[in-house]
Amino acid sequence: MDFDIDYLAAQWPALLDGVLMTLQVTLLAIVCSLLIGVLGGAARVLKVPVLSQFVVGYVELIRNTPILVQLFFIFYGLPAVGMELSLFWSGVLCLSLWAGAYQIENMRGGLATVEHGMREASNALSLKTSHYFCLVAMPIAFRTSLPAVLNTSISLLKNSSYLQAIGLAELTFVAVDRIATDFRAIEMFSAICVMYLVLVGILALLTGRLSAHLQRPFRQ
Amino acid sequence: MNFLVENWAFVGKGLWMTLRLALVVLLFTTIISTVLGVLATLKNRLLWWTIHGYVELFRSIPLIVNVFFIFFGAPMFGLDLSPFAAVTTGLTLWGSANGIEIVRGGLESVSRHQWKSAWALGLRPWQIYLHVIAPQSMRAILPAYTGLLTMLVQATSLGALVGVSEFLKVGQIIIERETVMTGVSPAFAVYGVVLLVYFVICSLLSWFSRYLERRLGRPVTRATIDEGATCKSPKSAGA
Repeated sequence: MDFDIDYLAAQWPALLDGVLMTLQVTLLAIVCSLLIGVLGGAARVLKVPVLSQFVVGYVELIRNTPILVQLFFIFYGLPAVGMELSLFWSGVLCLSLWAGAYQIENMRGGLATVEHGMREASNALSLKTSHYFCLVAMPIAFRTSLPAVLNTSISLLKNSSYLQAIGLAELTFVAVDRIATDFRAIEMFSAICVMYLVLVGILALLTGRLSAHLQRPFRQ
Repeated sequence: MNFLVENWAFVGKGLWMTLRLALVVLLFTTIISTVLGVLATLKNRLLWWTIHGYVELFRSIPLIVNVFFIFFGAPMFGLDLSPFAAVTTGLTLWGSANGIEIVRGGLESVSRHQWKSAWALGLRPWQIYLHVIAPQSMRAILPAYTGLLTMLVQATSLGALVGVSEFLKVGQIIIERETVMTGVSPAFAVYGVVLLVYFVICSLLSWFSRYLERRLGRPVTRATIDEGATCKSPKSAGA
């Protein structure tokens, strides 16, 4: 068993394409999941009738089923009832729905820490509910829920590897695809492990910076 | 729906395989997490860094990569692992990385005074762990550990990707078979049912985790015992 570093150097362009695809899917899904999180969290906290019960059901469903089954349901199941999505968008949809459920819980946690007095104060200033939510509650809640939001985003990045199961050419798919032809499993997997570690590290670092930046006005 | 009824024995086999995967992984995860979790609380730099490195590594690598690494990589080392063995190894490595953190966190959540008091009473370190720290740490460990079990059950679905005929794989096979025989893909219904079954199993586990949290999270006071005691004593004193 020898570790062939030249082989990896030769495969570098393919791996880089995989990383780019992983990043594209991940970033799109992070944005979508945050949107779901904010809207769902708002529905829960403002106790919008029907919608808030729906959100509870959605969160429970996503959290108590394997992401792989969700993915297969979206990619193979939905076309059977006339909802055909491309490979890429199936992946984005699956990851967004999965992470969205966790982001809702994160946002709800953040919004729960906003004092009731804030609501009363904005009522006294005759702010509309939408204004209160966007201008008062959200900025406060976002800061407190940021660590949890980042955690979910990192999990999302890792879970983007599930998309290889439907054949989206992201990092893991590229590696498995090459192993099938070249049998260089150790090299390939070591390489993508390092790449995932670096990606997770970068995301953690960036988010740590952001978090520190947002905390700045509150430091003594 | 009737193809699911016709295939009930096959579906049952798949569920049984999922259960077996989950139980085997749970067993090994529990052993490794307990041992390494306790070791991580000892004051040994080298030990701490090793365990910490293991935990961080396996929590940062996607689970699927971890399972594939073992499944495709093992033959290169001359090991011929069956798909079942590969999946259980991969899930155990990942599960115990999470389990260690739970055990370590639980043990460290027990107040230092308990240690000092037990030490002052002349208990040996293993006695302190067994009789003082372990029972109290269970309050923090059990709910989180049940949560981990939920994740493990969900993660067993990865078996379908390397060819273990567990529940999800059985669903896939049924879909293929029906598509060939009838020409219409029942993917929507089958994956819907698979989702539902996982949902029921994992919801029960999540519910149990929350129940444990409520039940064990109650403050430990003597109030209930004292009440029982004082209920009778005034009467008997009066009589």
